[in-house]
Amino acid sequence: MDEKTRNDLLKLFQGKLNQAMRFYLETCTRCGVCTEACHVYASMPQVRYIAAYRAEIVRRIYKKYFKGQGKAWPSVGESKELGEMALQELYDAAYSCTGCRRCMVYCPFGIDTQMIMSIAKLLLIGAHTEPEILTMLADMSIEKGRSLDLFKEGFLVGIKNLEAEVVRKWRLEAGETAIPVDVEGANLLYVALAGAHSIIPAAAVFNAARENWTLSFFEAVNFGAFVGDPAKTKLILERIINEAKRLKVKEVCICECGTAYRVMKHLAGKQPFTVSSITEVHARYIREGRIKLDKTKFTDPVTYHHPCQIARNGGVLEEPLTILRQLTNDFRDMSPEPKYNWCCGGGGGLVALGEDTLDFRMKSSTVKVDQVKKTGAKILATACENCHTQLSNLNDRYQMGVEVKFLTSMVADALVR
Amino acid sequence: MVYLAYAVFLTGTVARLIKIFREPRNPSTLQIYPERRPKWLWALHDTFLLPTVRRHKPLLWVFLMFFHVAFLLLIIGHLELLAEFKIFQVIPHEVFLGRGFVGLILSLCLLFFLFRRFKSPVRELSVPEDYYLLILLFLTVIFGSEMDWARRWYGYGELTVSDYRAYLSSIFLLKPAVPDTMMFAGHSFMMVLHVFFANLFIMFFPFSNLMHSILSLPMNKLRRG
Repeated sequence: MDEKTRNDLLKLFQGKLNQAMRFYLETCTRCGVCTEACHVYASMPQVRYIAAYRAEIVRRIYKKYFKGQGKAWPSVGESKELGEMALQELYDAAYSCTGCRRCMVYCPFGIDTQMIMSIAKLLLIGAHTEPEILTMLADMSIEKGRSLDLFKEGFLVGIKNLEAEVVRKWRLEAGETAIPVDVEGANLLYVALAGAHSIIPAAAVFNAARENWTLSFFEAVNFGAFVGDPAKTKLILERIINEAKRLKVKEVCICECGTAYRVMKHLAGKQPFTVSSITEVHARYIREGRIKLDKTKFTDPVTYHHPCQIARNGGVLEEPLTILRQLTNDFRDMSPEPKYNWCCGGGGGLVALGEDTLDFRMKSSTVKVDQVKKTGAKILATACENCHTQLSNLNDRYQMGVEVKFLTSMVADALVR
Repeated sequence: MVYLAYAVFLTGTVARLIKIFREPRNPSTLQIYPERRPKWLWALHDTFLLPTVRRHKPLLWVFLMFFHVAFLLLIIGHLELLAEFKIFQVIPHEVFLGRGFVGLILSLCLLFFLFRRFKSPVRELSVPEDYYLLILLFLTVIFGSEMDWARRWYGYGELTVSDYRAYLSSIFLLKPAVPDTMMFAGHSFMMVLHVFFANLFIMFFPFSNLMHSILSLPMNKLRRG
């Protein structure tokens, strides 16, 4: 690695050093309490998958360039030069971590490995060694925000084609629109994913609850966050913020996507609207009596996988249970303490990398498989696209014998007048 | 050397803390849910009672709690060499507290911490710094405790608390003087080694993970939101 590249990368590193990051990089005592926290380690016990070991890969570079200790006495902390080899280690650490933050629950200090891995991801972008597909997807999202008019027409035609499906789930009164788009003054802006499965059931439930809602032009997922690029994360986020402001909505509701929810909820800053996940909105409709569900629709035992970014990291813990209590009499809790729930193994961009990471995702998530099997449930519900894909892959690979379903689609299927 | 060590310790720690706390705050919350209120009280609970260690590594937790409490008692013991604090005499005791057992507990805990680092996976996680600190502290504690044990358990009378007090006070008042009794006592070499290793230890403090003693609370507060 030449001097200029290294200096550029160190500037990126420096940019990540805020107060919390310094805390995390200064403090680890390498006590090893986090050892059993990581689902990757629990499934494949290798030292490189321990949270403290991953973090130490970044910390060694920190010691070398940003700490007196690494300059005066490099061997004492095993500080390390930033070079090609270090980049490889950073890649292995960052892209075998799903950012679930389960280790943060174990650490006596609360060190956030996901945040430390964000340095690794940014350095990889700086060195152009990040997974290209994630950057491409992020760029596409940004481009869509820049040239909305170009794809607007096609989008509206596509949405029109879905309306019949929505009506099949929930019959409307004459003159009502099944999927309203671009409605100024609506109460709620629903930000979906690019896929009918994310729009049709949600639309049916909004209509059943007689919500004054409108569908966003943009998809919720933030590939900028997956690849760890703060600038792109912000650009992708701002498209939705600007749309919400333009339409003067009171609430932005994020579809079943963990990353999208956490980024919007925590990074949007103070805005004239509130941010909710669709799970929270559905639980509210049930509490307010705006929708009613048929408990006999699903007779098989149901369990629920708490998506990390929505539950442990987003605080939506009770709401899915409120919904499930109305959906089934046979709910099997896989994790009575949701903060200890095992990650599905697909977060942090791993599912978005598709086949490339499939083998690793399957091997690194056997603890999840055991956890699901233990419940004896036949329906595995969840509220995150990534989790759904990963759990479906696990179901195929390990013959778990469950049906993986989105919570929203279960709500839509069980709607009663 | 004592003055150099304290100068490094104080300026180093203050400089590092200023550097860390002057950095901008993280723009978003780093909280873990569910939330429990009051958040600051739970942050204190997490910092001082180490509930996560108690749950996942109960044996380590026992040693950690004994270690930290014993360490605190020894700091109190050293403060009592400087002056008599009424507040510490709520439970009447001789200086040092604990009849020598505090030092013994501390030594055993340090040996436990050291030996658990020889075993995988903590062995692979450890860096030399972790061993140096444990060894330095063990040496400091063992020499310091031996003086205490000699007096308490074996009736050694050449060095008394008032000798130690005279020495420590002289250092504190910037008029360092080693009392004759200490200079020529058979155990003087223990005193020298105790002070020497303690100096090394505190000089290393600001540049090592010992900063966890200060940063643990703000970090736990971040996790609690």
